[in-house]
Amino acid sequence: MRSTTIEILFPRNLSEALSIFSDAKENLKIIAGGTDVVTGIQQESKRFIDTEVLVDINRIPEIKGIEVRKKKISVGAAETFSDILRNNLIQNELPLLWKACSSIGSVQIRNRATIAGNFVNNAPCADTVPVLLVYNATVEIESLSSKREISLQEFLQGPYKTQLNVNEIVTRINIPIPSKTFVGDFYKLGRRRAVSISRITLAVLMDMRGGIIDEIRIASGAVTPIGARLTGLEKFAEGKEVNDRFFKTLASKMGEEIIKITGLRWSSEYKLPVVQQMFYQLLKSIEQRSL
Amino acid sequence: MNKEFSVVGKRVIREDGFDKITGRAKFADDYKFDGMLYAVMLRIPSAHAKINSIDFSEIENNEAISAIITSADVPGIKKTGLIKNDQPIFCDEKVVTPGDVLAMLVGNSENELRNLVKKAKVDYTELPLITDPAKALDQEAILIHPDNGSNLIVNHHVKKGDVEKGFEKSDHILEQTYTTPLIEHAYIEPEAVTAIPLGFNGVKIIGSIQNPFTARRIVAAVINLPLDKVQIIQAHLGGSFGGKDDTMCILSARAAVAALKANCPVKIRYTREESILESYKRHPYIMNYKVGFSNSGKIIAMKINIIADGGAYASMSPFVTWRSVVQATGPYEIENVHTEVRAVYTNNPYTGAMRGFGSPQPIFANESLMDEIAIHLGISPVEIRKVNALKNGSITATGQKLENHDVNLIQVLDKAIYAADFQNKWRANKKEKPLTKEFDFNNPVLQDYQYVEPDKLIQKGIGLAVSYRGCSLGAEGIDTASAYLSIQNDGTVYLLSGLAENGQGMRTTFAIIAAEALGILPEQIFYLETDTSRIPDSGPTVASRSTLMGGGAVRNAAEILSGRLKKIVKEEFKLSEEDVVSFRENLVFSRKKGLTAKFSEVCKLAYSLGINLATIGYYKSPSVHWDEKSGHGDAYFTYVYGCQVAEVSVNIGTGEVYVNKITAVHDPGTVINKLGAEGQVYGGVTQGAGYALFEGITTEKGLIRELNFDQYLIPTSKDIDVIKPVFVEGKDSYGAWGAKSLGEPTLELTAAAISNAVRNAVGKRFFNLPLNLEEIVLGKKLCPQEVKRGSLQ
Amino acid sequence: MITLKFILNGKEVSITTEPHIRLLDLLRDKFDLTGTKEGCGVGECGACTVLMNGRAVNSCLALAAQVEGYEIVTIEGISNGDVLSPLQKNFLLHGAVQCGFCTPGMVLSAAALLDQTPNPTEEEIKDAIAGNLCRCTGYKQIVDAIKETAKELQVK
Ligand SMILES: Cc1cc2nc3c(=O)[nH]c(=O)nc-3n(C[C@H](O)[C@H](O)[C@H](O)COP(=O)(O)OP(=O)(O)OC[C@H]3O[C@@H](n4cnc5c(N)ncnc54)[C@H](O)[C@@H]3O)c2cc1C
Ligand code: FES
Ligand code: FES
Repeated sequence: MRSTTIEILFPRNLSEALSIFSDAKENLKIIAGGTDVVTGIQQESKRFIDTEVLVDINRIPEIKGIEVRKKKISVGAAETFSDILRNNLIQNELPLLWKACSSIGSVQIRNRATIAGNFVNNAPCADTVPVLLVYNATVEIESLSSKREISLQEFLQGPYKTQLNVNEIVTRINIPIPSKTFVGDFYKLGRRRAVSISRITLAVLMDMRGGIIDEIRIASGAVTPIGARLTGLEKFAEGKEVNDRFFKTLASKMGEEIIKITGLRWSSEYKLPVVQQMFYQLLKSIEQRSL
Repeated sequence: MNKEFSVVGKRVIREDGFDKITGRAKFADDYKFDGMLYAVMLRIPSAHAKINSIDFSEIENNEAISAIITSADVPGIKKTGLIKNDQPIFCDEKVVTPGDVLAMLVGNSENELRNLVKKAKVDYTELPLITDPAKALDQEAILIHPDNGSNLIVNHHVKKGDVEKGFEKSDHILEQTYTTPLIEHAYIEPEAVTAIPLGFNGVKIIGSIQNPFTARRIVAAVINLPLDKVQIIQAHLGGSFGGKDDTMCILSARAAVAALKANCPVKIRYTREESILESYKRHPYIMNYKVGFSNSGKIIAMKINIIADGGAYASMSPFVTWRSVVQATGPYEIENVHTEVRAVYTNNPYTGAMRGFGSPQPIFANESLMDEIAIHLGISPVEIRKVNALKNGSITATGQKLENHDVNLIQVLDKAIYAADFQNKWRANKKEKPLTKEFDFNNPVLQDYQYVEPDKLIQKGIGLAVSYRGCSLGAEGIDTASAYLSIQNDGTVYLLSGLAENGQGMRTTFAIIAAEALGILPEQIFYLETDTSRIPDSGPTVASRSTLMGGGAVRNAAEILSGRLKKIVKEEFKLSEEDVVSFRENLVFSRKKGLTAKFSEVCKLAYSLGINLATIGYYKSPSVHWDEKSGHGDAYFTYVYGCQVAEVSVNIGTGEVYVNKITAVHDPGTVINKLGAEGQVYGGVTQGAGYALFEGITTEKGLIRELNFDQYLIPTSKDIDVIKPVFVEGKDSYGAWGAKSLGEPTLELTAAAISNAVRNAVGKRFFNLPLNLEEIVLGKKLCPQEVKRGSLQ
Repeated sequence: MITLKFILNGKEVSITTEPHIRLLDLLRDKFDLTGTKEGCGVGECGACTVLMNGRAVNSCLALAAQVEGYEIVTIEGISNGDVLSPLQKNFLLHGAVQCGFCTPGMVLSAAALLDQTPNPTEEEIKDAIAGNLCRCTGYKQIVDAIKETAKELQVK
């Protein structure tokens, strides 16, 4: 339990925040919804043991709001899952993201937890990651001296590691609106029906033309060390004819691909067969719906 | 009972409801006192170790510490326990389970103490671990409590007829082994207690204490004061389910030792992690069942061998396993029985009383087995049970003849199968072959045939289980209860019983019983705070005995006082000797003259006449007897019966089991409070579903993996769809108008019914609870090698 | 130490505190509002639920300093003196309270739901309280109480 004090700062706008970060050290951390940070501090987890200053970013208007910018839906980094769920644009244009957000934690968690907070830790079980990956999301990052936008894929480096520097903040997540020809789905498996850490997540988005896969994007979470696109699998699928046989082949290929990436772990004995099975089921249900 | 009741059996709002719904009800951690200090525990991350030394030199002069409490500060007995004194208040020589506490820091900043405690240097030597109860009795096994001579806590047996001859006469023999996991009570309120020193008057303790009288006995012995110098007050209890007994007694004792040393009030409150780490749990059982039966399904012989993991301390193990040995053959009349139950010491978290108390485990085994027999013979689960069911006049496995109450087993079974349309659904869902696919871990890439057709992914199933349950303590102990009742001169009433409210609504039940007997409303009854200084000991609030025993005492008290009032009415209103006076709706009636007076007028009158309107009522159970040597006897003076039907959907791809419906038919005797009774069913079934599907504490090198609700999963609002309670109110002559028990029967059947439903859905039998994802898909459990928290896993 | 100003159960309050203590501790220790309970401290049980600007949140996952300028409602702010809200009344009438430890959080989650979704489906009700663990009731009577309250509020 924490007994040394922590200072908390409340920048009112982005430039104020950026100047706080400009000479930041490891002892300074951002707090958004706090659903990870607060327990981390309470339980003195390694990531927070040296934290002396917290910067609350909830009152910065520039990193809030959901709007369309240049054919992309731009989601403020500090948007909560509840706000995202209430947004019609998301519901209509990014149904997979909507579904992933609705599966996170409980109402209380969704009322606080933010979208950037979900992937900045790069935990393998972050539910929005596979979905954002198949939507080809990009991340806007700012510091006092620079501004950059990179793909989420690049941003996520390894388990609990990202490209973010201590003087930077994620400001927005930008998601190209997929063409209406794309169909897809998000799948999450937990041990319970609610408030459940993901055992497996899958996101699939595909464009089928005349029974042929024109483009397919596949990402997994919780079965790979970090949420990741399965590009080998995507390449294998493109141009192939859609049928039951092929779905089975593709699902088995996913099994091979995951073994390559993840190796065998204590949980593989269960997760490997199940991820193939449920990927197949997911493909079948997407096909069914697009008929 | 054809009596017309005015409040009994109605939906009555609980008497403590207002305080609870407004947030005003005070739970243990809500009490604060001037100058109050906190105590924080010192533990080591080991399940079995010899303590060489504890060095406080780095912190002992720290200003934040008012006192360091060790075993040396304990003035009285240093080891305690409900049955055997094997549990140290502070472990200064040896740690035998990960929850063990070595010492305690006392000071006014709990946070600082939690940091400082990490700086105490403990030098210890790890000892070999025993975590597998099946190995605890091996010759070479290290002794956890060397003075006990072995790792055996207790050994019970029941013998009837001759099983070996029975097997010879049988047409078929089946033998199976079943296991159940270690279960956390998971009351939402963690433990908390405050001890307040009272100078010459000893100590006062307020806490989340399930059994105030047990706590008083243990605290008094530990601080070496007479019983009257220890006053225990029970705060509102945030759930217990049998779990706030031993742990709370020891925490109370530790707080008392600290309060007396520091001469300040001292509070101990646990985090969820500490609660799960140190509190006792439900026993894991390993159960071997061998059964012989005829072609017609008549069971001829049953041989049962059970090992119960008692963990590091004996706690209630001797009584818990006694109930198991009595009931292990299920509610069936079997000619030849040999049951043996052994509870053993291990380095696992210790186990004691938990809702069900030694019944959920054998019911899971026995009711799974009954279905297997039915499937083996090609008959239905209903038929196999009817062939063997206990009836009026049947002789149980312990040689007891069932009489003096309605043996309603077949009635509850019939009602349940009708309500759930069991027979049709069971036949329609029945699978001849297992549907789940076998996987080969050496070839983890799926073959085409291993993919499931989407419309076959979700399989429905239905299953049932029945039970009988002995009421109250049985031959485990002396069984009496008392209640204090005092009528005021305006017709309002004070009530207090020596049994304790655990959140189950007991006080409301008692208020209803008193109200019924006095012809007034439950709202007129004010239930006093449970305080050991004001009421005689009524024994523990366990074994679903409160309604039966305490209810009997309340009724007795109410009838004593109503007798006195009736006498006055007859004299004052000059009624004849043979006239009958009755109380109803706050009015007093004479059979001959009709309405005679208001209840409050009669009370006032009694006061003016100097009649004593306060009394203590008693209830003593009819005698039961038990011969431990032969394993024979009238184990309990009466029994209740239940049947639950589970309907499930199983995802054969992932192993998810969803409970669509539980139909729960119970005979609790007379239902006193309908609302409370239904609540017991919903709550018990939900806990039972958690037991069936995902709950379980596991350990790695003796250390617990699931220390909070992110890992120890209990059912949420979304995990069960429909629960339908049905009551069959059998007649009984005991207690208050034949009101018996319900709290535990509701829980004990659910896992067995769900497991049978899963068998019906997927065509495969599962022998090991919980039926979690891995169990269904792989037929085994998987656990990580490291203990990590939360999302890191 | 910082001085915070916020609205607590309808009244403006000001308090000096360490900034990093949890909202839960602020309410229980500094304001003596002990109706808000702690069951896990990690956001799993919901016993600590309060309303923050009208939304249900876990007070064990918010830091005291974060409530500056916000509006917080605890169970103590739900009834009007001794007059129960319709939701509280229905909780009692339906037997939705057993040990009562989860009750304050449960009531607040339900209140937030009915505020935003006056006529919820059974699924929506179950979803709204999925972050509130109850070990006693099996949730059924709680769901019934919320349903009934919604019905009564519709009629009005
Ligand atoms: C009970 C419970 C259930 C949960 N269930 C799920 C679930 O089902 N699925 C799931 O995916 N997760 C779940 N989580 C995890 C967590 O809620 C999410 O990961 C959440 O999205 C984190 O967001 P936050 O705003 O609360 O992050 P915070 O705790 O505020 O921050 C998390 C991390 O991100 C950093 N950060 C936040 N915002 C920014 C930014 N804009 N720029 C740079 N760095 C930033 C912080 O410094 C910190 O390191 C659960 C957590 C709890 C407690
Ligand atoms: S105490 Fe906050 S959710 Fe459990
Ligand atoms: S009423 Fe006890 S936890 Fe809900």
